[in-house]
Amino acid sequence: MTDRPRAIDCAEVMERLYEYLDGELTTERSDEVKAHLQDCAPCTALSSFETTYIRFLEARTRTRNAPEELKKRILKEMLFPQDDS
Amino acid sequence: MFEEEALPHLDAVYRVALRLSGNETQAEDLTQETMLKAYRSWSQYREGTNARAWLLTILRNTFINEYRRTRRMGPTVDVTEVESFTVFRDVQEVDPEGRFFDDIVDDDVLRAIDALPEEFRETLVLSDVEGLPYAEIAKITEVPVGTVKSRLFRARQALQAQLYDYAIEMGYIKKREAAE
Repeated sequence: MTDRPRAIDCAEVMERLYEYLDGELTTERSDEVKAHLQDCAPCTALSSFETTYIRFLEARTRTRNAPEELKKRILKEMLFPQDDS
Repeated sequence: MFEEEALPHLDAVYRVALRLSGNETQAEDLTQETMLKAYRSWSQYREGTNARAWLLTILRNTFINEYRRTRRMGPTVDVTEVESFTVFRDVQEVDPEGRFFDDIVDDDVLRAIDALPEEFRETLVLSDVEGLPYAEIAKITEVPVGTVKSRLFRARQALQAQLYDYAIEMGYIKKREAAE
């Protein structure tokens, strides 16, 4: 069995929340946040609110793609470079 | 091969170019220049490394060296004044699940992102729009990982506060009554 994660307080959870949600913490640090969240309703509520927010940002901003015209122009320029000079 | 490794990231390059430059014409020029530069210097790319990060580095350098001279106009949001998690505190009673976000349309989200100061905007775009890990963002923007962390934190919080104010203004959510 492994040791229980070190107990951390709400302030520390808030400080690390984004790193936790972004998967940027080490397993040890991440387990500390997870353990705190299991016992703390306000931090869990905050965490799920911020999760909603980040997913919302991703969903709303990843939709735009480059125009087809631009893609064609780039391919053409790669294949048949124009001499602009 | 360039066609297989780099070309699939053309959309990502365009999206970041759009947020860096703030307008479509410049974003197209920037994208084209980035892709052609990358194509010509493909021999310098080390296979097996992250092609998207490599392209975004070229994009950023091209933007800084050739495009930033024409500075963007428009107001920028002050990110230093933002306190942590105030929006969550304010919506706790009325909308703790953040349903009001759904009412905000894409264009307004993008406009709000565009109002962030440049270094905060680029960090947020690389993270939330392109999903890059902190270490890659640090490499592309040439700052320590700790700076990426703090910029991302402040950028997300400032953006959230802006979107919240906007949602109140539009009537998507009711402002919390000031405590008596």
